[in-house]
Parts: sequence; C-alpha cells; structure tokens
Amino acid sequence: MATGTQTDAPPRRKFSYARYSPTLALLRLLGRRGEAVARHTGELALLVWRVARSVLRGQIPLREVVAQMYWVGTQSLPIVLVTGTLAGIVTSQQGGYQFTGSVPLYVLGSVVVSSVVLELGPVMTAVVLIGRVGARITAELGTMKVSEQIDALLSLGRDPVRELVAPRVLAGVLTVPMLVGIANLAGIVAGMLAAQMTLGLGNETFLYGARLFWHSWDLLYSLTKGLVFGFIIPLIAAHMGLQTQGGAEGVGRATTEAVVFMTLAVLVLDALFPPLLLN
Amino acid sequence: MVEYIEVYKSFDRPVLAGVNLRVESGETMAVIGHSGTGKSVLLKTTLGLIRPDRGDVRIGGRSIVHCSARDLECIRHKVGYVFQNAALFDSMNVFDNVSYGLTEEELKTLPRREVLRRVAGALEHVNLEPAAVLTKLPAELSGGMRKRVGLARAIVGQPEILLYDEPVTGLDPVNATVVHRLMARLDKELGVTSIIVTHDIEGALPIVDRVAMLDHGRIRFVGTPDAFRASDDLLARAFLKRDVASASLDIVEVV
Repeated sequence: MATGTQTDAPPRRKFSYARYSPTLALLRLLGRRGEAVARHTGELALLVWRVARSVLRGQIPLREVVAQMYWVGTQSLPIVLVTGTLAGIVTSQQGGYQFTGSVPLYVLGSVVVSSVVLELGPVMTAVVLIGRVGARITAELGTMKVSEQIDALLSLGRDPVRELVAPRVLAGVLTVPMLVGIANLAGIVAGMLAAQMTLGLGNETFLYGARLFWHSWDLLYSLTKGLVFGFIIPLIAAHMGLQTQGGAEGVGRATTEAVVFMTLAVLVLDALFPPLLLN
Repeated sequence: MVEYIEVYKSFDRPVLAGVNLRVESGETMAVIGHSGTGKSVLLKTTLGLIRPDRGDVRIGGRSIVHCSARDLECIRHKVGYVFQNAALFDSMNVFDNVSYGLTEEELKTLPRREVLRRVAGALEHVNLEPAAVLTKLPAELSGGMRKRVGLARAIVGQPEILLYDEPVTGLDPVNATVVHRLMARLDKELGVTSIIVTHDIEGALPIVDRVAMLDHGRIRFVGTPDAFRASDDLLARAFLKRDVASASLDIVEVV
C-alpha cells in the first residue's frame, strides 16, 4: 500500500542548474526582449504600409486630420515655445561661460544657432511631444481598445487604421516640422537676448558669428528631423494603443511602454541622422 | 443563416473546441453557458473580430474566414453587433454614434436631413426620444439608455443579422425587461436573424426560438425553450435553477 501511494505521488522535481543559472536567466530575458522588439518592428512595418495605403487612396477623414493638427500643432505651441526658449538661453549662457577669455565671443552666435537648429530644437520638441501627444494617443486608443470601441468600429465595417491612426500620423507629419521651426526661432532669439543681457554681446555681433558658419542645409536637416519625429511618434503611440489589453491597468502599462519606446526611437534616429545626412 | 463549422480557438487555453452550430434565417437563438466558456468569443468570430484557429464561420453561405478584407467589410454592414457595454464612441454625441451605423457611402451621398431621419427612426425603435438625446454624449446617458443607443446604432443600417453580447448585463431588472421586450419587438418587426449571448436565461427564454448551451468549448445542448426546460441535462437544470457555479463544478467532476 505504502509503495503504491509513493508510486501515485507526483515525481519530485529535480534541481535544475539551468533553471536557476543567472546566465541562462539573462539569456532568456534577452531572448524575450528580442522577440518583443522583432514583433513590434514587424507590426509597425505593417502599420506603416496600411497608413501609406490609406493616405495614397485619399481615404482619410479630413475633418479628423484638421482636428488632430489643431491638437498636435496649435495646442502644443506654448510648451514648444517655452522649451525652445529655455534651450536657447542655456546654450548661450554655457557657451559664454566656456568662451569668455579664450575664444572670440562672436563665435557664440554660431554655437547657439548650430546647437539649436541641428540638435536642441528638433529633439527637445520631440521629447515634449512624446509626453504631450504620444502618451495621449496611446491612452486614447488603448481605452478605445479595452472598452471595445475598436471592435465596434470594425463591426461597423470601418478600418481603425484609416479612421484613427492615419489622421494622427498625417497630422504629426504636417505639424511637427512647423513646431521644430518655431522652436528653432524661439531658441535663437532667446539665446541672442541672453547673450546680450549676461555677456554684453551685441545682437549684430551675435548674428555676424551666426552667419559666419551658417549652412542653409542645416535648416533643411532640422526640419527633416521634425518630419521623421512627427511620423514616428504618433505611429508608435497608435501602435501601442491598438495593442493594449487588460483594462485600466493595461492602458497605463501600454502608455508607459509607449513613452519608453518613443523616446528610444527618437534618440536612436537622432544618432543616425549625422552619419546619414551631415557627411 | 449563420453557420459555425468545427470552430476552434485557443488563447492561453482552448476556448472553443469544435463548435458546430447553425442558426436559420429569421431565427432568434440564445447562446448560454457559464463565464469563460467562450460565448463572447464565438460571437466575435461571427464578424471576424476574432479569427478562429480552425474551422469556418459562414454568413449566408459566405465564409468570413476565407474572404478578402473588402468582402469582410461588406458582410459586416449586413450585421449589427450590440456590445456588452454598448461600446459607444466617447468623443461623439448620440447622433454621430448612431449615424456611424450607416455605411460610408450612405453618409457621403444621403442628404443630412435623410441621415437625421434614419437616426431618429432608429432611436424611436429603441424607445428613445430623439430630440432629448441626439446631442448628448455617452457619458451623459444612463446604462440602460447607452445600451439602447448601442442597439439603435446596430439597427440603423437595416442589418439582416443582429448579434447581442450580454445585452442586459449590468442593468437593473426593470431595464433588463425593457431591453428584452425591445429585442423581441425588433426581431419581429425587422425580421432579422438574432444570436443572443446571455446569462439571463429567464429573460431570454420567452423571446428566443432555440437555445444553444456552450460548455467547455463545445455545444452541449441545442433545442427549443420547451425542450430546454424539460431537459434532464445537469447543466441545463442548474441554469434553470440559477445555480451555475456549483453545477458547473459537479459537472466537471462527473465529466
């Protein structure tokens, strides 16, 4: 009887080194992350194709595009202006601190303009828009997903990509370059005024320095960055929103992941721009 | 006619395990079963909102699993879906929500007055006063009114099939009775084929032609309400006694 009982009992699990090995655990984690990145990349590529198809066929509701442009563009203007202005002031003051007594101060004009136009204007605008626009898109579409509103759209024979994603992406592409241009202008003017007030550098001298090293290509480069960021932020945000599962907690989790994903994408793309377009 | 042929679907566990069911034209069928048994999943496979792993779903003889995206959109226009929580679009008022039930073609070509007439007609069908609700947002409506607006959105496009996912869940008994009566009247007036997924067997039995009982991903019973009442099936008896939880445990043990 006793033997029978022992035979019937489930076998004891043997200690497995592989199960508790930190190296294998790390590899397993990396594998899972890699799989998630590959899956998201594939789904994003598919989403790009579907958005492009909707745009090329002219099937996007224009009223929605205009509404999104108002939200992404006009509503974001104050925070973009503040960010651009502060970026210009900080660059001007730090440059002044480093150059005083060693480099002619008119060089500061070039440093401020180049820093703002090539880097700070587009990147700071993108970071602000990730928080303001990207997070909102993910939360909005995520809520629609978990409350079956996306299913309702599908059940009514409508395509959520055409109705919801494409207008947001198109609005981003059209408005973010403009916002980057405005942030650039605000940064340059603020940097010039800061140099005048703190270093006593005249506006003419500042502009002389700026013109000395100015390339017209720099502005196109800056706006191209804005265009790419304006495309990628709503695209990732919408993708993450449509992938949301599991109620309010799921919406929160998707929004957090989207912000991380968008920030990484912007920084990686930003790092790819100089070797691709400045050499 | 709606046909489910050997439909299988798994998520982290098997949910549908070979469902075979046929709902005839003009028939009203209730699909019952305890929670997590795949009733809503079955309903969503009807419209391709969830794709079966295996098997086929046919509407009027046309497969929704093997059709093109464009054909699927066309099929969906012939089907009205009433969601458990109404699933109204939060940012749109009642008029916009209900008019979404019309096709894009209709919205483009019909004069606004005609769209308004159809929306108002659908709202009157579900016992709502159009003038009182047209401009309201979903957040300003009660649960029962939201369900009825969801129903109006489902019928405004004059569908041939109506799918109801737990239409009375979350409603008080009075509103639940109102919605059940409404469904019975709509089925009679519009002559549609209806599939009602519900837990409320008492409310559903008087208004349906047949009952299908889903258990462990398979159809366990199909028959008329009278046959269901007379059935000696353990789960059927438990449903009638409203003792689903304990019955399902007993049955799991017996099976």
